[in-house]
Amino acid sequence: MIAAHSPIVRLGIRAASPLAILVGVYLLFAGHNQPGGGFAAGLVFGAVAALRTVAGLQRPINTGALVAAGTALVAVVAVAPLLWGDPMLDQQIVSAEIPLLGKVKTGSALPFDIGVTAIVVGLVLAVLDGLGARELAETSVPKPGGAK
Amino acid sequence: MSIALLFTIGGLTTVGLYLITARSMSRILLGFALLGHAAVLALLASGGPPGAAPITNQSTPAEIANPVPQALALTAIVISFGLTLFLLALARRQQVLSGDDLVEDDLEDHRIAEGTT
Amino acid sequence: MLWTLLAMHVVAVVAIAGSGRWLKIRVLLACAAVAPAATAIWASVQLLQGSGPTIAELTWVEGLDLGLRFSTDALALMMTLLVSGIGALVFVYATGYFSADAPSGARFSASLLGFSASMLGLVWADSVWTLFIFWELTSVTSFLLVGHKNTDEKVQQAARRALMITGAGGLVLLAGLLVLASEAGTTIITDIGQIGGSAGTVAALLVLVGAATKSAQVPFHVWLPGAMAAPTPVSAYLHSATMVKAGVLLLAVTGGAFVDVQAFQTVGMAFGVTSVLWGAIGALRHRDAKLILAWGTVSQLGLLVTLLSIGTGKAVFAAVSVLFAHALFKAALFLVVGEIDIRTGTRDIDELGGLARKMPIAFAVALAAGLSMAGAPPLLGFAAKEAAIEAVVKLSGFEMIAAGIGIIGGSVLTVAYTVRFLVTVFGPGPDTPVGPRRLAMTLPAVLLGAAGLVGFAALGVVNEIVLPAAVELNADAAKYSLLRWPGFTTAFGISAAVLIAGAALGGALSRHAAHAPEPLGADSADRLIDGTMSVARQVTARVQHGSLPVYVTVMASTASLAALPFFADLDTSHLVWADQPMQAVLAVAIVGSAIAGAFVGSRLGAALTLGAVGTGMSGLFILHGAPDLALTQLLVETIVVVGFVVGLGHLARQFPPVTGGWRTVRLTMSILGGVAVAGALAAASANPSGRTPVEQLATESVEEGGGNNIVNVILTDMRALDTLGEVVVLATVAVGILALANLRDPEASA
Repeated sequence: MIAAHSPIVRLGIRAASPLAILVGVYLLFAGHNQPGGGFAAGLVFGAVAALRTVAGLQRPINTGALVAAGTALVAVVAVAPLLWGDPMLDQQIVSAEIPLLGKVKTGSALPFDIGVTAIVVGLVLAVLDGLGARELAETSVPKPGGAK
Repeated sequence: MSIALLFTIGGLTTVGLYLITARSMSRILLGFALLGHAAVLALLASGGPPGAAPITNQSTPAEIANPVPQALALTAIVISFGLTLFLLALARRQQVLSGDDLVEDDLEDHRIAEGTT
Repeated sequence: MLWTLLAMHVVAVVAIAGSGRWLKIRVLLACAAVAPAATAIWASVQLLQGSGPTIAELTWVEGLDLGLRFSTDALALMMTLLVSGIGALVFVYATGYFSADAPSGARFSASLLGFSASMLGLVWADSVWTLFIFWELTSVTSFLLVGHKNTDEKVQQAARRALMITGAGGLVLLAGLLVLASEAGTTIITDIGQIGGSAGTVAALLVLVGAATKSAQVPFHVWLPGAMAAPTPVSAYLHSATMVKAGVLLLAVTGGAFVDVQAFQTVGMAFGVTSVLWGAIGALRHRDAKLILAWGTVSQLGLLVTLLSIGTGKAVFAAVSVLFAHALFKAALFLVVGEIDIRTGTRDIDELGGLARKMPIAFAVALAAGLSMAGAPPLLGFAAKEAAIEAVVKLSGFEMIAAGIGIIGGSVLTVAYTVRFLVTVFGPGPDTPVGPRRLAMTLPAVLLGAAGLVGFAALGVVNEIVLPAAVELNADAAKYSLLRWPGFTTAFGISAAVLIAGAALGGALSRHAAHAPEPLGADSADRLIDGTMSVARQVTARVQHGSLPVYVTVMASTASLAALPFFADLDTSHLVWADQPMQAVLAVAIVGSAIAGAFVGSRLGAALTLGAVGTGMSGLFILHGAPDLALTQLLVETIVVVGFVVGLGHLARQFPPVTGGWRTVRLTMSILGGVAVAGALAAASANPSGRTPVEQLATESVEEGGGNNIVNVILTDMRALDTLGEVVVLATVAVGILALANLRDPEASA
């Protein structure tokens, strides 16, 4: 891969990752009032993961676990309202005064969105694994000290 | 409705249909992606004229674009995204098995055809 | 109660089917006898108490009247008694018929009990859907039972012939029932009133053909002699006593609806009279004892169809009586033939002789049952046949001539083949060696054979069973009853003449060993079935040739052509060239990139054009006022392009070249498709069917959804269930991709 050949690109991806993650987190929370949402956030995180994989950098997350956790979270949020007699997926809104941030209003849509994010990230990682992105990155990294 | 949008929808459908009848999986995949685009645009175009972004604290309900097709279109985008990725994985699998990504004829059907002669 | 009985059968079927590995066939058959025995006892109690019908209902789709509905009126109870009573006896008989270590015991026992349950469902059915389902179930179980010896090619062919004819008849019946139900306005059989007109004629003809296939009426009778390839317990149970009566039963219960339909009487009479005569002639021609009985069944069923087509109170009463008597004597005769087959090893009347001395009990049973079949006193068959002849005597004109030839001529032939059967099998002839008696086979035959005698002695009890059933079909039947001694009436005179003439004819024919006739009808039926199969295979080979691109082309062209009618509504007044100038620019760019992507030779180039199209789409979304879509589209496109590049990195850089005339076809089809979609959309948008309540959505999204972004509130709150489904799809895709990636290479693992 082109990216893996260049130390500058690798450094750039390394430096940009936290920033991109910050953007993703913003999108996740902004979704309810601004363009964004769980799906967009997941795609941003996924893009970070994709770039890191292509560049041959490490990824700390287990794909299967991520998909499972996301699905479980979404399912719990969906079914939970049934427990207190509301229809399935009913929205619960909580607002609280938090220091520094001021008045924060959020609802059960937030954990739902987090679940969606997890599934989307898991999907992107699955694609990368399934398509053999890692092997591709490895084969194209010039091995130090020896020709193939 | 604008002719420009109709032209885009028709054009994307044409190219998409042409591509999904190809033999190469990667071309079929491109075709599916383009058909997905056409469908999303069709949803959006059938929802009415353009307007401001449907965000309540920025515009009045009178000026915003119809939000319902947008929600439907968002779902459509996500589903065609999933489909595209799955097709990619299938193409990759086909490549692992046969060295290329061509869609072959169904062998079982060939056997049926041969059984009659 | 009905559910309990049915459930008992079903549970037993499943248990028996599953325990073939541990239990032998005789044990399995004995276990299977329990459910029919219990049902028979229940039915007798109901009959003795004279209680009203039991109704059981299970609704599935209310608006369509879909569901199961059972009702046990007097006729159904009488049939239940026959189906389950004879069924229990046949199971006992089969424990003797099969050798202790016969193979496939579980399959046989489960199929036979499954048939028993299906037949019960059929006689209880009180809705046209229920009737049809159980009708077809009996065909399927019959197929399994006829093809029991599934290694023999002839048996396979016979089983397939039976399935094809009765199955096709079932479809015709379904059509008939649909017309009947829609014309009568109800699917509940007991509620169906009289119908007439051309719809009535169509329904009557369809129902008649369905009944004729099941009840083996000429020319659909060809499957019945072939079905004798089944083990004899099956022939006795399905192909004489019960299943073949289903068609007759159907005519009986629908006859009330077709009273005004002349075609029902005429065509029914044609079926019936032809079958009476042709069946009896067949019985006189054959040398296999079992085939003689099978052809006799065709004849007797023809008699029943004739009587039901006449439709008068007397005729219906006679039909129900003959049906009852026939089930008893024909089952007994089959059981005797099965016993002869097992003990002597042959059923050919030329090789049999002297059995009256060697098998006295079997002879006694055959004599009692045979005389009942011939309609001789003092047996139940006599009383029933008297009623039938009385019914003919009451007629006039052409109907009397036709029915007279059928019933009286058929009776003469019946007596003749009965005499021939008894004389050639039990009378003098070659000295056939006979094996030891099996009690399990003798006992049921004796019970069924004695039933004819007992029934005549206790004619009052039989009347109590038969009369209410007949009255239910035709109220006029109430004034009749079975008579032990009718007096010197015309009918009695005819009966006596029939017996004398028939005996003389039978005696004469039994001296000559006829050649076994060619199975002409069966051969042409097989050729028809084979021809149909071969045409079907050729069509399949032509249509389902295995090429995915061709399938897609055919489907897309069809859909595009289907969109053509929309163009009639095309109205250009609401169209504008572009909402914004930028929109036109983007449109050209998107379509241009897409076309470039289709024709570019390199895979990387194609991936980049896809990215360009996606970015252009984002632009269009922004212009339309959909920032959410734009953002999502852009991110999706990034991932897809990365995936494309990564996924295709393993492949050759260039696409394989595309050439040939096929390309022209594809191009034509796709242009047609594009024009159809755009045109249909333009036409549809000319008259919108309503307006979206945007203001209400805006208020609700703030107040109930707690968000300002209406699109997102719709997705996570108002249509959250859809979104849930959507993320489940994504999770499934992820799992699928992981599974595909972790699959071993089949060649590597092999």
